[in-house]
Amino acid sequence: MFLPKITRLPSVRLLSCAHHHQLLLPSSIPLTVSRRALIQGEYRRPGQPKEDKPPWKINFDFSKGLEGIKKHFTLLKQEFSDRWVGPEGKPLLEHMLEQNRVIWEFRGPESLEQWTLSSDQEIGGQSEVYLKLSKNNNTCFLYGTLNSTPPRDGETRYSGYCTMRSKQPLASFDRKKHHDWSSFNTLHLRVRGDGRPWMINIATETYFSHQKDDLYNYFLYTRGGPYWQDVKIPFSKFFVSHRGRIQDNQYVLWLDKINTIGFTLGDKVDGPFQLEIDFIGVCKDYAHTEEFAYELYKRNPEV
Amino acid sequence: MKCARCLLHLRRVGPVGQSARPAAPSASYSQSSVVPNVHNQVLRRFHGSPACAKNRPLPAEFVNEDSKKTDKSLISHGDLFEQVAKEAKSKATFNKVVEVFIKRDVRRRGHVEFIYAALRKMPEFGVERDVAVYNKLLDVFPKEVFVPRNFIQRMFNHYPRQQECGVQVLEQMENYGVLPNIETKVLLVQIFGEKSHPIRKYQRILYWFPKFKHINPFPFPQQLPEDPVDLARISLTRIANDLDAKVTVYQLPCTDITENGEEVTLPHIVGIQSPSQMELLAKHNSTRPLFVEGPFHLWLRKTCVYYYILRAEPIPPHEKVEEPYDPERCFYYPLQLDLDLDLDLGDDESFDVEDLDEGPVYAMCMTSQGDQTTLNQWISGLQQNNSILGQIPILFRLEAGPRELQAEADTESGHHHRPDPATQQDQSHPEEEPDVRVEEEQRKSHGMKQ
Repeated sequence: MFLPKITRLPSVRLLSCAHHHQLLLPSSIPLTVSRRALIQGEYRRPGQPKEDKPPWKINFDFSKGLEGIKKHFTLLKQEFSDRWVGPEGKPLLEHMLEQNRVIWEFRGPESLEQWTLSSDQEIGGQSEVYLKLSKNNNTCFLYGTLNSTPPRDGETRYSGYCTMRSKQPLASFDRKKHHDWSSFNTLHLRVRGDGRPWMINIATETYFSHQKDDLYNYFLYTRGGPYWQDVKIPFSKFFVSHRGRIQDNQYVLWLDKINTIGFTLGDKVDGPFQLEIDFIGVCKDYAHTEEFAYELYKRNPEV
Repeated sequence: MKCARCLLHLRRVGPVGQSARPAAPSASYSQSSVVPNVHNQVLRRFHGSPACAKNRPLPAEFVNEDSKKTDKSLISHGDLFEQVAKEAKSKATFNKVVEVFIKRDVRRRGHVEFIYAALRKMPEFGVERDVAVYNKLLDVFPKEVFVPRNFIQRMFNHYPRQQECGVQVLEQMENYGVLPNIETKVLLVQIFGEKSHPIRKYQRILYWFPKFKHINPFPFPQQLPEDPVDLARISLTRIANDLDAKVTVYQLPCTDITENGEEVTLPHIVGIQSPSQMELLAKHNSTRPLFVEGPFHLWLRKTCVYYYILRAEPIPPHEKVEEPYDPERCFYYPLQLDLDLDLDLGDDESFDVEDLDEGPVYAMCMTSQGDQTTLNQWISGLQQNNSILGQIPILFRLEAGPRELQAEADTESGHHHRPDPATQQDQSHPEEEPDVRVEEEQRKSHGMKQ
């Protein structure tokens, strides 16, 4: 019996958050695995009782099992047949020469399934965030209210954030798959915001466990207004942060194994917000030759 | 005022400044009688010899003989601020409180709690973005006491509580976007030494802040103008996305007194339209209605302003007419090139996404009162430059809350849909009065010379 893995997606805060807890999102796939199976469970707010389900308690559901088998074997078959077409299912020439690739476009309700929302309600705050498809089913509409009153649990000092994060791409039998953007160098988004500054977070695949909360961030300034805004951010501008704190040892974002991309709002201003995204793509800008925007030498030398 | 009394008390008591208000009920040590103190008076006690008088604590009753009764209750440092807050909360009073604390004790007992309390009170006094105030707060730390003097002290996080306090001061500066200056660095080096955590944090702030100071592609001044017309001007130029767009003030805010003696406040109406929008509007099909939608919100750092737009529905594809470019419009370069180029895969720069057609936006405006009369005034003002507006029916879709632009004409029940009878009014007609039903409101064309 295959137990699908819980994908752990820590949500993101800005530099202002001094709260160092690891936040984990519940996956939105209806899971039947017990929590004890994980070494580190999900974040438990101080004061909440421990949920302890014994590991032998699994909900058996025949129809769901059948669906799962069908889905995974179809994916497996597709993976085998894709290898005959070319790398990643595209013909070799196209893979080598493509200039632009649209990664996420919101053209139907199933595109919303690839995204997870999170807000500071997990740590007890009061911000709300919702995601829906706009009219015409053509763009996604992320909206909500931000509230930066910190929760009264005695240890949180700052609060007020909302995020939308893509789910980890999964191959057959829920194996992790990564985005490979090594032939591109710019992130291209078409958004329509309301003037608020957002932050884009890219999470890459890491090896060591203490690199789990490493994110590459950059700012997304929206203009507001009725017109769509094309935002092009080269990947060389992304800086490394860990649990929301920008790090001293910076390195360029490696594009070969990218797990998720996310958008965070945490600009300490209470009130409603909205962001519409038309599509997210990557492109290769031949004019951009910069490898990394920040200095790589040791900046806190032993004096 | 207790604060003033404190000062008087200090002057009266003189050198032995152990006042009775520590944060934690710590024992009040007296100062050594031999060490000259702030008021440069050397006291000698008959119980202590000059040789070893330095560290021997004296019982409290010998110390403050002429002081007021020692207050044994637990008083927080925040109370000091609250007492000052009763008069006026300003930078001067904040500085006064800090100075009182500094002058009270050379050893600055309880300075960590005092600094944390001061950091919490800063937003109330309105000084959270002032570097000088932060420097003054850092001045509260006693200097050179926390500097590690040998390698063991350097290894083991010398005075961790004070270092954490210093880091928290810098963290609040970072939160509010205040860049520390050279005085901060000098103070931190004097207090904590060169390789301490606060200095490292200072170095990080000074590295990253300048990098990200100017990355906003739509900058606007830190201090937004109070005048709503100026604010509207700034925000409309921001959202117009066109440098040729012109801002027109249709009405300035003013208060009128009508015949009944009531005061009527007229809101400001500021609109923007660019020449390309005017052209598009001139080519608009008169049978298709135009929509005034709003209010949409726009955030400028902390202020939220609302704007309204005038737009049309997108033309369905079977009705789209491709107008050929007029080659005489531009002599500098051809507007249309009919080249039969063979584009390779590697040359294709466009994304494989269908273009969204949401209908053109013809004009935008900002006003404080978003009701139909005000917007009518805006439309009439627009009509001066776009005469076609007189023949096109205008529908108002006014709804507050986060909304997106609607591309489809079929509205749901949640929308306020006030259809407008097709007005055949030109400017020559004065006000026309068709039958006004309760839900229907008509658009009056105001006489232009009013």
